Amino acid sequence: MDNTKNIALLGQPNSGKSTVFNSLTGMHQHVGNWPGKTVEKKEGTFTHNEVTYKVADLPGSYSLSANSDEEIVTREYIAKKELDLVCLLADASQLERSMYMLADYAGIKTPVMLVLTMMDVAEAKGKKVDVRKLSEKLGIEVCSIVAYDKKSYESFFKCLEKAISSGKTLNADKLYEIVRNGEGAEAFEGYMEKASLIAGERRSPEWIAMKLLEEDEAVLRELSIKGEKNIATDPKGALYTSDARFKWIEELLSLVVTDAKKPSELLTKFDRAAIGPRSGKWVAFGIMILALAGAMIVASPIMGLGGALPSILNPLADSVLGGMGVSESIIHFIKATIITSLGWVIAMVGFIFAMNFVFGILEEVGYMARVSYVFDRSMGSIGLQGKALMPMIMGFGCTMGSTSGARVIDSYGQKIMTIAVAWAVPCGATFVVIPTLANAFFGTGGGMLVMFLILFIMVLHIIITAKVFGKKLNPVDKRTGIVMELPPYHKPRWGFIFKNSLMRMWDVFKKAFSIELVVCVIFFFLSYSKSGIEGSILYKIGTFIEPVSAFIGLKWQTFMSFVAAMVSKEAVLGVLSAIFANSGSVIDTTTGLAATSDNIAQIVAAAIPKAEALAFIIAVTFNIPCLQAVVSTYNETHSAKWTAKIGAYYIVTALVLAAVVYHIAVLFL
Amino acid sequence: MSLTELKNGERASIVRIDGDRRYLSRITSIGLNVGCKVEMLQNVKKKPLLIYGRDTMIALNREESERIKVEVIA
Repeated sequence: MDNTKNIALLGQPNSGKSTVFNSLTGMHQHVGNWPGKTVEKKEGTFTHNEVTYKVADLPGSYSLSANSDEEIVTREYIAKKELDLVCLLADASQLERSMYMLADYAGIKTPVMLVLTMMDVAEAKGKKVDVRKLSEKLGIEVCSIVAYDKKSYESFFKCLEKAISSGKTLNADKLYEIVRNGEGAEAFEGYMEKASLIAGERRSPEWIAMKLLEEDEAVLRELSIKGEKNIATDPKGALYTSDARFKWIEELLSLVVTDAKKPSELLTKFDRAAIGPRSGKWVAFGIMILALAGAMIVASPIMGLGGALPSILNPLADSVLGGMGVSESIIHFIKATIITSLGWVIAMVGFIFAMNFVFGILEEVGYMARVSYVFDRSMGSIGLQGKALMPMIMGFGCTMGSTSGARVIDSYGQKIMTIAVAWAVPCGATFVVIPTLANAFFGTGGGMLVMFLILFIMVLHIIITAKVFGKKLNPVDKRTGIVMELPPYHKPRWGFIFKNSLMRMWDVFKKAFSIELVVCVIFFFLSYSKSGIEGSILYKIGTFIEPVSAFIGLKWQTFMSFVAAMVSKEAVLGVLSAIFANSGSVIDTTTGLAATSDNIAQIVAAAIPKAEALAFIIAVTFNIPCLQAVVSTYNETHSAKWTAKIGAYYIVTALVLAAVVYHIAVLFL
Repeated sequence: MSLTELKNGERASIVRIDGDRRYLSRITSIGLNVGCKVEMLQNVKKKPLLIYGRDTMIALNREESERIKVEVIA
């Protein structure tokens, strides 16, 4: 007997779908991309009563229209023959609205069960849902759960087993009866014949006829392939179908939901401030500062551990390995690669944990949607969701913060866009390194001007980068205005979010360590030299391309520093120190094994002309932020392709910016 | 009148929605169809509209909402 079942979770945004998915699968998750589409694919497994369930967490959408790649993926998936069951989630506290997905599902012949979430919220609102009656009316299993409370899943598992063994599909005759008595009746009947041409085992002709009534592009395309080209459609069709669906829902729920209608204020005092035309922005900035501070507090113990790790492990390596007779150069190699990358990865997952925790709470509480509303106009003008501002602001602290914070963006394409844009925000380390250099070259006043120039370029960079990446990820002609639900505020489930963040941290740790190790090893060999700087491959490359790089104002010394900056921002000064002050090798100053000379900025200022220095400062600031940023981008996008694209884009733009700045600066400095 | 003219706190019923298929399916799938009753929560300057309908607080793009026609419920 086959002991594996394929199930899928389907539901509207805010229906508690990801919470259910996380509770069911725990650590057994795999996140990737749907082939050929910029849509996130989340799968996981769990076992119950010796049956293994493969779960797909389908992208959240409000209906099964073909308006986005997400919805197209979902539609294809739920009609797959291999699928044993769809678990359709609906928010019991807003049942009328969230049942729309089920109404749109009607006609899909894959067995389905209905899972009501937020039952506790509904009850607090004075609503009671008669689950058994609803199940009778729909002819499928219905259960109710509290998504974050694993104990409440007992009824879910019972229904799941029953639903799979019975294979019941949704009975939607009533819905079509309503359609046949409604405004679109004639057209609907007319479509039935054509609909049966492309109907199949899992898609009934009625479902397709409904889609035709809505002028559904995907279904029309399928039919045109079959030779049915000029199908007359009604631009008002989408109104007829939605009308019928809501009538069907209202009829269904008329005796199922009892509403005690507790008088409640729609807008609480806090909400009035949080969404107010002026106060909203202040509240948002206040919360962002709190979030940044909160993230730092959560992250700092772990980051501290990561930072302190080399100083604990390095002497240990010296004494233990040295005592075993391992040669000094091998110990050095281990320190510069394994121990360094381990320290970095621990620091990185600390940040990832903190962002998951802090943003997880803001999201769960329902505040993120308010941020989206408040900044809809400003962020919308560059093609991003309003809440994309949150991770971008985090970027001033650390780019890892912005990349892992981008998880709150619910469209995969826009998530990649947000990350790409957020890289342009100079991070905390940049704000330490750059002023040091800028002040040494241009004095305090000049240094301030350089910082203003950097902020000015940042704004331009953000606008241009959003345009460049938006072309593919969020094309202008496909952009639509905001139509978004602001969910009611919920109490945060600290424990649940904490556990989830821990799991995510562990997951990232496993993947990230090997990547960082490989890069550290590569960088080790590139910069390895038996004697002095001149023996390294990096030096040879640097001097070889100097005729070209000199055009953009970079000599081999600054070019080497530019390359090292992609690994770590602190390496900018470190590498210069290695070259100009002989304070250690390039690899040692990059990995922090050797200290940077205290007055390196002054030494460099005496050695490099001002125009070149300015070009270098700009190049380094807008280069790939650091190896950590690259790895966390890969973690968040699960796409080597997009990570590489963003990386290449930043190297090229940094060099172009440097060239422009250099050639202008040469005229004045 | 159009939804954008509704004042804060006023209740209305949707009587007509214009627009292309994409817009119609987006707006109806979030719960706003003809006959649906809504209350204006916040309608200020150029910000998106904030309304309450079908037990849900919904933010709507202002320009697009010109296409939603409503009748005030006394």
